[in-house]
Amino acid sequence: MFLYYVDLAWRSIRKTPILSLLMVLAISVGIGITITTLNVYSMMAYNPAGERSEQLNAIQFWSQGPDTWDDFHRLITYQDAMNLRKGKVAPAQAAMFRSGMAVQTDDPEVLPRLQGIRVTDGDFFKMFEVPFVYGNRWDKAVDLDPAYQAVIGEKLNQKLFGGENSVGKTIYLNRKPYQVVGVIGDWNPQPKYYDPTSGAFSRSEQIFLPFSLTANEEFSVWGNSSGWKHEPMNNYQDRLNSEKVWLEFWTFLPTSEDRAAYKSYLANYVEQQKELGRFTDNKSPVDSVLMSDVAGWLERSHVVPEDNKILVGLSALFLSVCLVNILGLMLTKFLKRAPEVGVRRAIGASRGQIFSQYMVEVGVIGLFGGLVGLLWAWGALYALSARFGVSEGLTHLSMSMWLITPTIAVGTALLAGLYPAWVVCRTKPSVYLKSQ
Amino acid sequence: MLTMKNINKVFKTDLVETHALRDFNLEVKEGEFVAVTGPSGSGKTTFLNIAGLLEGFTNGEYHLDDVNISNLSDNKAAAIRNEKIGFIFQGFNLIPDLNLAENVEVPLRYRGFNAKERQRRVKAALEQVGLGARMKHLPSQLSGGQQQRVAIARALAGEPRFLLADEPTGNLDSLMARQVMELLEEINKAGTTIIMVTHDPELARRAQRNIQIVDGQVCDFTLYQGGQSHLVDTAEKVAS
Amino acid sequence: MLNIKPIFSSLLRSKSGPVLLLVQIILSVAIVANASFIIHERLEMMQRGSGIAEEEVLTFNVFNFDPSIDIDQQNKIDQQILRGLPNVQAATSTNMLPLSGSGWSSTLNLGPDPETAKSTPQYAMYLGTEHTIKTLGLKLIEGRNFYADEINKSVNDPGKLMIISKALAETVWPDESAIGKLLYIDDEQLEVIGVVEKFQGAWVDSDDLEYSVIHNVDFAGYTYMVRAEVGQHKALQDAITKALMKENPNRVIDDFQSVAEVKKLSYRDHELMITVLSMMVVLLLLITSLGLTGMVMFNIQRRTKQIGTRRALGATKGDILSLFLVENYLICLSGGVLGASLAVVLGQQLMKYYDLPQLNLLYPAMTVVGMMLVTTVAVVLPARRAANISPAMATRSV
Repeated sequence: MFLYYVDLAWRSIRKTPILSLLMVLAISVGIGITITTLNVYSMMAYNPAGERSEQLNAIQFWSQGPDTWDDFHRLITYQDAMNLRKGKVAPAQAAMFRSGMAVQTDDPEVLPRLQGIRVTDGDFFKMFEVPFVYGNRWDKAVDLDPAYQAVIGEKLNQKLFGGENSVGKTIYLNRKPYQVVGVIGDWNPQPKYYDPTSGAFSRSEQIFLPFSLTANEEFSVWGNSSGWKHEPMNNYQDRLNSEKVWLEFWTFLPTSEDRAAYKSYLANYVEQQKELGRFTDNKSPVDSVLMSDVAGWLERSHVVPEDNKILVGLSALFLSVCLVNILGLMLTKFLKRAPEVGVRRAIGASRGQIFSQYMVEVGVIGLFGGLVGLLWAWGALYALSARFGVSEGLTHLSMSMWLITPTIAVGTALLAGLYPAWVVCRTKPSVYLKSQ
Repeated sequence: MLTMKNINKVFKTDLVETHALRDFNLEVKEGEFVAVTGPSGSGKTTFLNIAGLLEGFTNGEYHLDDVNISNLSDNKAAAIRNEKIGFIFQGFNLIPDLNLAENVEVPLRYRGFNAKERQRRVKAALEQVGLGARMKHLPSQLSGGQQQRVAIARALAGEPRFLLADEPTGNLDSLMARQVMELLEEINKAGTTIIMVTHDPELARRAQRNIQIVDGQVCDFTLYQGGQSHLVDTAEKVAS
Repeated sequence: MLNIKPIFSSLLRSKSGPVLLLVQIILSVAIVANASFIIHERLEMMQRGSGIAEEEVLTFNVFNFDPSIDIDQQNKIDQQILRGLPNVQAATSTNMLPLSGSGWSSTLNLGPDPETAKSTPQYAMYLGTEHTIKTLGLKLIEGRNFYADEINKSVNDPGKLMIISKALAETVWPDESAIGKLLYIDDEQLEVIGVVEKFQGAWVDSDDLEYSVIHNVDFAGYTYMVRAEVGQHKALQDAITKALMKENPNRVIDDFQSVAEVKKLSYRDHELMITVLSMMVVLLLLITSLGLTGMVMFNIQRRTKQIGTRRALGATKGDILSLFLVENYLICLSGGVLGASLAVVLGQQLMKYYDLPQLNLLYPAMTVVGMMLVTTVAVVLPARRAANISPAMATRSV
């Protein structure tokens, strides 16, 4: 019977090509706009940590004095990061910040290039599931006892060493030699959830250095540093000793018990610090710590701009205008066919059968609308990325949209068709049979 | 076969109440050919719509084939229309987008027959009305008489017990009207009960029984004496 | 002659068609009013002047990677080289770029006691030299520029002077001149010596964008700004790279861009928003007018006989046209009024949840007027066909 309805729908669409085209156009435009904004939104709202989202927790402290910042800062101080590293309570943990240096190799032909660098602990690679192509992370001992070792990205390895196994080779960062211990594969989570502060959709760094080198090497900070009070900063040591916040601190806590235990450990830590004269604001130790899992962290980092939420909302309204529009057109079209419905009803079609017939027709129109809408969305995203250089990660039409689009389109059409189909299936068979 | 007892049908609007049928009583036996006549506005069409389950009635009792029709659900009524009743309308009411075969096929689709069975019945029905060679034509390509024959084929395809015709010859010229009438008589002879509404006394006279509706009531019915022999006459004409 | 009453009652009787049109117009007006308001607000935001000769200022980074380089000394030499290049009108090193979205910001106290003193709003903290004003093309309206011998090496050195933007001066000292006024970091003093007419900070979305301060510190960083005529920029890039590399090859020189380009990048998201919203408004009007046209066509078809009868009874073509126009104006106007109210409610919601200013009532009003125009076009085209229906249709049965 379904195929019969599809056949009837196709005949009906072909019989009124302009009206059908209008309907397909109306749905497709609505769908095109909605999918465009939804696609960008879903890309932004994506949580790359997947099922590890709850296990990875960023640590934040209320370390500011009274009457200063009115929220937790996303970054923490060097002293707190060092204390937590020494505490070693979490099964895996990593402090980190972004830096940058000029890279050279033994090959004089290779021109020095400026590279973004992530300075972090060895657990980073395990926590964020970074895949290795050659070698591995630096030894755990290096996190305590600094060594000039580096993990580099596949892309940089290609440029510096032609893609071969470069483990054991030397790279020079600001003229200082570092030994390559590992090469990681193509790894570029979007959004860059481990550090959305310096561009939530920027690429991952291609060089990773041990955090333990920070004090010795005085790596420049390529991210935010914020302070809530005036502190003179004459040298790097001042920075390390200051109350300025500039580091992210991530922990891997597999179970909820682990997380609860870690939270009380942190509260305990704050209590000690309060005794030492820090954490001067009038807030209890438990309230002075915040653990955000990845989902919460992305939310707190405002990875999805408000504009995008507004656009998604407006395009949903837009789609509802299209829905009302096709509802009107559909009503027009269906009511014109009331006499035929009368005949079919007289011949023995039940209301359900008539209703199904028209819903199938509406569904077919919706499906066409969805397909055309997908083309619109694809074109719009392409135009946006070409015109505005929006990150490719955001304008790529995600695979799920190929499924979501027809679903929304057919859903919208069916919703719009509900009333007209209901009206037409209620047609009294006797009314239209007597010809005038 | 068809029994109506004290059927009333009242149409209500804000201002007026119209009694389309009042205490309407009728019994039609299996195999009868009944002609219903009456002035316009007398309730003929209302009677036909109620008899054909296209409309409900206000009160009374209606049995069709021993099934009590009062309070029948819409789906049930549709199923009975589909299986037991065939309709023929003055305006033919063919679906213009469908070709002849597809038009005849419509009730069979709703009955849920498989493709093979549908094809067989469509072919048989169209051949019976003499249009077997024009299965792929569209209704608009046919004359009025031919269109009405297609409508009859559509009514016959479901092999109904009971044929309802509403002014079947009203839109046809006299020659075509006679052909259609002869076809109906032939069908009746094969065992199908027919009720035909008409305002043409000439046609009415050819039925076995004639009912007149006036002001929503059966006023008078006559069994034509010569009906039987007349039918034989017609049958011979068709055969020759 | 416009007979509104019979038209209105016939509208009420035909139910679903006009209701749908009404709903569509209500939603459209609500969306279009808010969208056009946001568009206008963003456009205004993008058209704010920065006080800077945006096109003429070329910026770039010099990254010295040789540990043996004395960064401070090298920075001095590099600035000298830049000023000596042909076509360069002025050059300076800086700690941050205007309108770039990143930089330094701070607040200062109005008195020496941090416990009691009020503080200034958050301002963009530029570290610059006596060349900064000329390089950026700022307009000094009061006081004076730094003298060359007043430029400090570090933010912690004594003798702290400031040139501030007029917006900041007027906020901190509303009724008096800012020149000679003191601000404090704890008990350290900073003196205002000059006021520039306009100088924006780095964060275009911030409420504090207009508050900027230039401190008399030559920050030996890696960012430089050079002022030259726009046509010279291309050649200048090569000249700069060549001259600086010749002086010392152990560095990376890149990120050449004008402040205008930096600004464009910072406003890109707003431009994107404007583009998408404009697209939405145009499509929405298109769809609504298509809906109107479709509905009118349907009405004409349905009422062919009635129109014929009217014509037979003496209605002129103009009467028929105005019949349809008035009918749809009624729908449009009532939809417009309801839609405008919905727009206000929607605007309030947007304001509540997002950082949007209150909807100006002018926008819903203008949208309704625009909708009326669209209605006229969408109705007149098909209604002309209706007016051409022959009076003979009255006698013909359909």
